[in-house]
Amino acid sequence: MRAILCTMALAVALATGAEAQQASRTQPVEGMRDNGTGYHALVGARVVTGPGQVLNDATIVIRDGLIQSVGRGTDAPAGARVWDLDGLTVYPGFIDAHADLEMDAVPEGGDVGPTHWNPQVRAWFSTTANLQDDEDRRAALRSQGFGTALVVPKEGLFRGTASVVNLGDEGVRDRVLRPDVAQAIGFQRSFELGGSYPNSAMGTIALMKQTLMDAEWYMRAWDAYEASGRAFLPPETSEALAALGDVVQGNQPVIFETGGEEEYLRAHRLATEFGLTPWFRGNGQEYRLIDLLSGRSDPLIVPLDFPDAPDVGYPGAALNASLADLRHWYLAPASPGQLADAGVRFAITTDGLSSLNEFLPNLRIAVARGLDVDDALAALTTTPASWLGIDRTHGTIAEGKVANLIVSEGDLFTEEAEVRDVWVRGTVYGITRPAQFDPRGSWEIASEDEWGFDALLVLEGPLNRLRGHLDIASTGPELPGGARVELASARAVAETGRIDARFNGEVLGYQGMALLSGSVRGDEFYGWTSLPNGADPSFRGTRTEGFEGPARGTVAMDVPEIDLPFIRPMMDYGRSSMPEQPAAVVVRNATVWTQGPQGLLEGADLLVRAGVVEAVGMDLDAPGGAVEIDATGKHVTPGLIDPHIHSGVSAVNESGFAIVPEVRMGDVVTHNNIWMYRQVAGGLTTAHIKHGSANPIGGENVFVKMRWGSLPEDLKLENAPRTVKFALGENPKRRQGRYPDTRMGTQEIIRDHFMAARDYEREWQQWEESGEGLPPRRDLRMEAILDILGQELLISSHGYRADEFLALVRLAEEFGFRVQTLQHGVEAYKIAPELAASGVAAVVWSDWGAFKMEAYDATLYNARILIEAGVVTSLHSDNSEIASRMNWEAGKLLRTGLTPQQALSTVTIGSAQAMAIDDRVGSLEAGKDGDFVIWSGDPLSQFTRAEQTWIDGRRYFSLEEDAVMRDRIAEERTQLIQAILSAEGSGGGRNAQTESN
Amino acid sequence: MATRARAAGMACAALAVLWAIAPVEIGAQVRMTVPPQSQPVALTGATIHTVTSGVIENGTILLENGLITAIGTDVDIPAGARVVNAAGKHIYPGLIDAFSTVGIAEIGAVDVSNDVNELGDFNPNVRADVAVNAESRHIGTTRSAGVLTTLTTPGGGLVSGMSSAMALEGWSWEEMSMQSAAALNVNWPNPNPRRFRGFGGFRFGPQEEQPSYEEQVQQLKDFFAEARAYRDAVAAGEEVRSDSRYLAMIPVIDGAIPVVVAADDAAQINDAITWAQEEGVRIVIRGGQDAIHVADRLVAEDIPVILTSTMAAPGRQYEGYDGAYSMPARLHEAGVRFAISGGSGSLYSNRLPFEAGVAVAFGLPEEEALKAVTINPAQFLGLDDRIGSLEPGKQATFLITTGTPLDMTSDIEQAYIQGRELDMNDIQKHFFEKYMEKVRQHMRRVIS
Repeated sequence: MRAILCTMALAVALATGAEAQQASRTQPVEGMRDNGTGYHALVGARVVTGPGQVLNDATIVIRDGLIQSVGRGTDAPAGARVWDLDGLTVYPGFIDAHADLEMDAVPEGGDVGPTHWNPQVRAWFSTTANLQDDEDRRAALRSQGFGTALVVPKEGLFRGTASVVNLGDEGVRDRVLRPDVAQAIGFQRSFELGGSYPNSAMGTIALMKQTLMDAEWYMRAWDAYEASGRAFLPPETSEALAALGDVVQGNQPVIFETGGEEEYLRAHRLATEFGLTPWFRGNGQEYRLIDLLSGRSDPLIVPLDFPDAPDVGYPGAALNASLADLRHWYLAPASPGQLADAGVRFAITTDGLSSLNEFLPNLRIAVARGLDVDDALAALTTTPASWLGIDRTHGTIAEGKVANLIVSEGDLFTEEAEVRDVWVRGTVYGITRPAQFDPRGSWEIASEDEWGFDALLVLEGPLNRLRGHLDIASTGPELPGGARVELASARAVAETGRIDARFNGEVLGYQGMALLSGSVRGDEFYGWTSLPNGADPSFRGTRTEGFEGPARGTVAMDVPEIDLPFIRPMMDYGRSSMPEQPAAVVVRNATVWTQGPQGLLEGADLLVRAGVVEAVGMDLDAPGGAVEIDATGKHVTPGLIDPHIHSGVSAVNESGFAIVPEVRMGDVVTHNNIWMYRQVAGGLTTAHIKHGSANPIGGENVFVKMRWGSLPEDLKLENAPRTVKFALGENPKRRQGRYPDTRMGTQEIIRDHFMAARDYEREWQQWEESGEGLPPRRDLRMEAILDILGQELLISSHGYRADEFLALVRLAEEFGFRVQTLQHGVEAYKIAPELAASGVAAVVWSDWGAFKMEAYDATLYNARILIEAGVVTSLHSDNSEIASRMNWEAGKLLRTGLTPQQALSTVTIGSAQAMAIDDRVGSLEAGKDGDFVIWSGDPLSQFTRAEQTWIDGRRYFSLEEDAVMRDRIAEERTQLIQAILSAEGSGGGRNAQTESN
Repeated sequence: MATRARAAGMACAALAVLWAIAPVEIGAQVRMTVPPQSQPVALTGATIHTVTSGVIENGTILLENGLITAIGTDVDIPAGARVVNAAGKHIYPGLIDAFSTVGIAEIGAVDVSNDVNELGDFNPNVRADVAVNAESRHIGTTRSAGVLTTLTTPGGGLVSGMSSAMALEGWSWEEMSMQSAAALNVNWPNPNPRRFRGFGGFRFGPQEEQPSYEEQVQQLKDFFAEARAYRDAVAAGEEVRSDSRYLAMIPVIDGAIPVVVAADDAAQINDAITWAQEEGVRIVIRGGQDAIHVADRLVAEDIPVILTSTMAAPGRQYEGYDGAYSMPARLHEAGVRFAISGGSGSLYSNRLPFEAGVAVAFGLPEEEALKAVTINPAQFLGLDDRIGSLEPGKQATFLITTGTPLDMTSDIEQAYIQGRELDMNDIQKHFFEKYMEKVRQHMRRVIS
């Protein structure tokens, strides 16, 4: 059905000229018919038929909307209307592969019909079915050279289907080229659509996954219903799920709109996981992923909304500019060129520009910053044409193709060229008119009126940026003379042969601006002025000298070449390469806190091979070529572990529902996270990034290693246990209008969901046994809860008070499983014996408390009491900054009477045991990961600092490397701030500037 | 229970004695307030860190009527004095937190428990001491960390009010208050609202239209000008109507009370100094995140700085991870006079020693770090005649420790305030004792 529709739409388009043929017109004509010949010859232009293909002095013949011929020579066929394009350039009409025609506004009162329970799922929305008369938008796109566009819906998460349309002024039935070719997905929900869930990045991805799974189920469910002979009640009707059938079968592409490099990575993962056919609307950060993108061929559509320069206008502002912002300003305009150089095929879109008028200027900036002109043209013609399936009819100037053309005065890509006309399907749309006169040159002008004066008027520069001056020769009786004044402004009015200018009247002895206008006829000038004293003397003059120079400005790079090496993350302290993993590393003669059975060893060696601890002991034999580190006087500990941080993810809380175990922090890890560098500098090597505390059952957490410089997927701790956030007490009951409002309700809603999961499990079992009835759907939330009940997804519960913890521990026991850890646990000490008996680990603070009611009974002795009672105990930070100094948090416990090794265990082995990752990390034992820290002294002393941090046998931090990076950052910041100041000084600041020569 | 304790020994032993007498829950009062010193006390054999006169090994310190009367290796101990053998111990002056809300803020998120920010932009007349809750839990925990004096400080507005110097021992605020109006606090307006940090500075709700930086500076100037006119009118014998706020400003304008100006950005610090010079007031900068960028001027004008966040992350992405940690060392090298304060606000004055200690890890000489939490803040705030160092004539406010109070590897064993030997119990130790008893009871059940 879809295929037939496409062909029909195309057939109509192919047969259409300015108006439809009489025999194929469905709509009756009212009044008189309008039948131009539709037969045109464009003669004498320089024709760029496609990327890298130029015909000089060529003629293009158009008949009934199609290009009948194109070739060298200037012979126009008899009968064709001749368009003399001598001196002009013709390009194929541009194609915008991701246009926003602002046509999918949310109706008042919301969408109606059996759509989807979640208002953000609008997959059913068709841009073809909803095509509107969006005349202004189309005219604006045409003015930038576009004749064709993929119109993409923008509202919601699943946004509906995009269609390829003409940008001519035909009625809606003649505009659709290819209806509904791709489903649009975005990561930013529309506030107007309403709904409370999802309200986070990870909730968004969870909803996307569930919806795609539901779409697959929906097909099966209806099939099963029909196959049964309608033996039971049918499944629900959902326009949205029905619309996604082609998507989940891989038959219809999905266009992901991505807001940054992380969203690109997330979209790509989602597409891979679900076997989708992805296209990506990029985001201007492609230069950060060049290495990755160069190996990928999915359609990529990039915007040209380059960033404004950071404010560096005064010292205080410059002090606040980060290297990340400065680099982005400098590198974003170079991104398209970098993509092309890396061999990545991409299209360019106007989407994202605050004004469509920025498109051509920004395109020229991209070219000035390294984008090859042919690559630029391909990104606007042949490349999108092939992706959109219109390459047989669009994208180049060739016989038989649809007559979509740009007629330009000048080179569109390298000069401030003006688009004269745009042809769409053989209809011409005038955009600008050419200058019908050239006023440039030197004019002797004189006046005989009172207040008049004699002067030489000089007009020069490109026509679109006219400038000039007046040399006042003599003046009226009371005025000084013999001075020069620059024209404050000057412009030529193309259509009327007039120039308008103004200049400062001071040169004539007035306070205020003087206005000067003049009509030019050949070399004659008839002028009049308006002077600040109210006089308006008239002038006559003649041109004594012409002006030789280009008619329009060229575009040149206006920023200095700055050598900015590729770094990841693309920010302050980003790495230019990953640290190497030596075959072996041996740390000699240190005080080694193994935190394992070997205890603390003085004057000992640590041997790490291929990233794994091999031995700790005295005078170890190291293999030849091992990296030797003399750590005399130093202390070595396992890498520190923090079981509770929130940095390193794009969002923390999905609070749309009270129960959200289906959301995963692992979906939203970000590597653009300066905290990670600070944390690794403080000896942290492993962390557990947690969902927030807005929900009794929150999302799934993620373990990361502090592999600063990696992409998100490479940060994750491999084969780590799965854990889920629970939250008790004040936070989950604080959200207004959402159950629960009390600790009682918190307990009950958790219990209710445990029981719901058991029901879900039973229904699945019954269906699998009988095969009868409606097939059950896979529910990510229920499956997560089943994993909780099965101890596959370990509970790590936020809470403060003893009562709420005890209630959760008992609830779990009622359902036959164990809570893994309590976190924060300000009152954990009050139930230490109960926790020990139930095998629940405690993750607590050192001395944090009293910041809210439920934290008032905090005590520094919390960890001490827990350890005395036999509870596995760890410290945590719950804070990006504190996570960078966990050794000092542990040190505070010395004052409670814990031994030094006990104190250190709360940030090493105790933490690993609490989180069930002690098979990998937490102590320096043979077979464990080579994660260690070299300290200047006793790691529990306030006077000690970390000197080196190693992860997997790679050195991710050292004081020496840090010093080198600081110097490099300082140098780059200085260069970039200077570049901004010089660009702003010359009126730029946008990375490229027009030369008015 | 096997006590593996190094430190717990002292606290537990003391409690065991107390509980032998009263082995039941002692209720809200977990630390007893002790009477003023009535008997001379001599502590002998200690390493005495005077701060201002070096370190005295095997020294004796004599206290009478709350004051230090003698200190040295050759001290005559008067008859009737209680002699305490402090051999092997260290004695340090009590630490001073120059920026605290101990006593006026109890539970962070419980609004009614906090008395920090008064309404309005100009409150020079409010004084912190009258709102100090002598029963606050934070008093005990702060003392246990070695902090014996706080500059309890109101916040909010452009002129927040008067800090009060509080000795952390006494039955009531009246008994604790050492200097009711120790400093006037000014929050310098923020030229760059994006980067605002620190408590006491959030003057406007997010919805309210905020006056521009320049407008706020002008408001401040106008207020001082009006106050000066008021003082002059009073001095000239003019009959003026009473005005609490301008009356409170008179000693400030006369230079009797220093003005502590909260300013972090380089532009703020520079503008604040220019302003203070025009007004002719004694200025102390508080905050000072960018102080290093203004170091030359701070030295040239001899303006001291109270750093509020040394145990902190840098304010800017490109700054070194240790930007705040190393700030004291860099200021010291540049010759700037500075103190280090708790800065975390109300609940964590007990972390003051570590705020100073971290500076040592990142290059500040240990004795300078000690000065930054003792004699320096005392000097900046006009308290150095009474506290800040161990010298005859000063108050007997000091710590007995196993080592430097700036490092958690040593323990604070006993503190004296104005000669009173403190009950070192606090709420946290109280919970420790109570719930260790639960652990013990439970283990007995398991064994039996």
